[in-house]
Amino acid sequence: MKFRLAAAATVAVMVGALVTGCSGSGGGDDKTFQFWSFTGINQKADVAKYKEAHPDITVKLTEVGSTQETAQALTAALAGGKVPDLVLIQGDDLPNFVANPDNFVDLSTMGADDISKDYLPWVWDQAVAQNDAVVGVPTDVGGMSMAYRADLFEAAGLPSDPDEVAALWPTWDDFISVGEQYVAATGKPFLDNAGTSVFFQTVNQVDEKYYTPEGELVYDTNPQVREAFDISIKAIEAGITANVPAFSTGWSTGKTNGAFAAMAAPSWMLKSIKTDAPDTSGQWRVTTVPKVAGNWGGSYLAIPKRAANPEAAWAYIKEMQSPESQLKNFTDTGALPSTVSAYESTAIADYTDPFFGDSKIGDVLGKSLQEFKPFFNGPETATIGSAMINTVTDVEAGNTPPDKAWDAAMKAVKDALGG
Amino acid sequence: MTTFIAPPRLLPKQSPPGIGTRIRNTLPERFAPYLYIAPFFLIFAVFGLIPLVFTFVVSLFDWNPIGQQTFIGFDNFTRLAADPRFWNAMLNTFAIFIISTVPQLVIALGLAHLLNHVRLRFATGFRMAMLVPYITSVAATTIVFAQLFDRDYGLFNYLIGFFGGDHVDFLNDKVGSWFLVALMVVWRWTGYTTLLYLAALQAIPRDVYEAAAVDGAGGWKQFVYITIPSLRPIIVFTIVTSTIGGLQVFTEPLLVNPATGLTCGAARQCQTLTLFLYEQGFGQFEFGYGSAIGVALFVIVVLVALLNFFLSTRTRGGR
Repeated sequence: MKFRLAAAATVAVMVGALVTGCSGSGGGDDKTFQFWSFTGINQKADVAKYKEAHPDITVKLTEVGSTQETAQALTAALAGGKVPDLVLIQGDDLPNFVANPDNFVDLSTMGADDISKDYLPWVWDQAVAQNDAVVGVPTDVGGMSMAYRADLFEAAGLPSDPDEVAALWPTWDDFISVGEQYVAATGKPFLDNAGTSVFFQTVNQVDEKYYTPEGELVYDTNPQVREAFDISIKAIEAGITANVPAFSTGWSTGKTNGAFAAMAAPSWMLKSIKTDAPDTSGQWRVTTVPKVAGNWGGSYLAIPKRAANPEAAWAYIKEMQSPESQLKNFTDTGALPSTVSAYESTAIADYTDPFFGDSKIGDVLGKSLQEFKPFFNGPETATIGSAMINTVTDVEAGNTPPDKAWDAAMKAVKDALGG
Repeated sequence: MTTFIAPPRLLPKQSPPGIGTRIRNTLPERFAPYLYIAPFFLIFAVFGLIPLVFTFVVSLFDWNPIGQQTFIGFDNFTRLAADPRFWNAMLNTFAIFIISTVPQLVIALGLAHLLNHVRLRFATGFRMAMLVPYITSVAATTIVFAQLFDRDYGLFNYLIGFFGGDHVDFLNDKVGSWFLVALMVVWRWTGYTTLLYLAALQAIPRDVYEAAAVDGAGGWKQFVYITIPSLRPIIVFTIVTSTIGGLQVFTEPLLVNPATGLTCGAARQCQTLTLFLYEQGFGQFEFGYGSAIGVALFVIVVLVALLNFFLSTRTRGGR
């Protein structure tokens, strides 16, 4: 029966690799190292810069796929495949790896303790395991902002200046009212979707999320999570969303043709607007989100334990993630620095981009971080988050009634966590 | 004919069994046949049996590929039985299987009948065209179909809108997403099945049809009383193969709605059993739970295959 080879064997063969324990990468020449990144974050630019400064070093960069696909490939590699020397891990995927620190080089043995004071303490601490091993060095953080179309706002009779727009929505309730005004004036949806643009934004504005600081699960009892969830359901009931899921086909197209006028824009998202909708240059603006503070995302560089050339990888981390390099990365690629000094200087605060009509992007993103009180992420953070956002999307699609949404979300999370 | 039968009859008389030949038979010749068939069993053991047994072993553990492995007995299976996501995947798998297999076999039968027509021009061209969907990459097919059936910008919904209808949200509607996945399966496999039927059709002697025509049977009667009965073995074969294929539908639901990850829709509208297995095993890295799904799926396939076997033997007995 074909099935045996197809389904059962895939799991078993993968696991079989674990038992045989294939050794790590061969070739111990210290001039070459393998680097896995995800797409869309432009690590190519970083690598090119590094190669230019060090012509004798060869960096083999592989862009594996999405953040999740990269984490999957890394897990499979750690379980018994060929590991890279250096890997980029997205913030939401990190806790699972931090919970199993034995798979990685403890960077404090390489000298991470000497540089730790350069980085925002709460960002740094997320990569420190229970046994005090330092699993990763933060490359960037996900300051939050709201991107909107100035031309569509004007057409709807709303102000279009970023400061005036920010003044329209001090709270999420105000934000929904602005959306209602827009819909009333134009008859078109205001927001791309409630899942990423409301729920994921609000749930990343809390000071306690799905876990207590001690690592206890509180997603079902934490009023802050409930509040974030309810406001996203409220946005759906207000009829202001276009029900276009982030990263879907219609989402990319919708940015160009005005299918929605506003969307969540954490620092790393801004680049995707420029890539997906190059024709709308000058029409977008960036302003603060309701309640201002928050962090969504960010990434870390880590070195797997079986890496063939950890020294070369560490040299790369140290140089490319130094405070000076991160500042340069920000202006070059838009990755918002995770270093302390960057926020003490004016380099971020003064940053603008003509694509976004010279909105004070750096100021907006920086402010969201300065006012933000960090929360603890646990190994199941990503799982809980996707179960909850899927419920929001399902309410938006009309499959789950809004009054049953919370119960459905809690049930989805419990199923995902194993009853 | 008799001249051909004669020599074997004479053979025993000519060579009576002797002691010498028996000795020669015992050593290499006795083992040679096993050696000849050994490659199959070795390959089966390595790629079939060992993974199967190992999957079962893993399913008894809480198995973190980069952390600890804890023995938990049959807990994964009790959890599976109580997991609504599993039963949802089961429903989706069987629904998609039925609404893809039935039309596929019927359409293939009709097409094969048409292609078998004596006076068809460019017959070879048409027959080769049948295989084009089959050799197209599943991933490419899925991406194109997902765009054609997109709610806001898909060609199909554009046409519906053009004629005044409301756009259909295939991906967010349960039956809609079943339909979309099934449509891709039909598109891909119909040509292949058609060629199987066509080969069988061409093996039917033409004089049977001629005799029927002489007796006054028209096209439809010929089809019902000659074609379909002659195709019965190949129809049973295609039902069995498409059952196995249908229970394993994976790539289409994986790629049709990538915005929601590995669930084929926010509410797991079209998540099949294999995709659920993949989500648990390689999305969540719960290898133990994923293996338990694999074992369950194996049992399901065996049961369905047995059912197929009994049904097909019964139809044969009824003839």
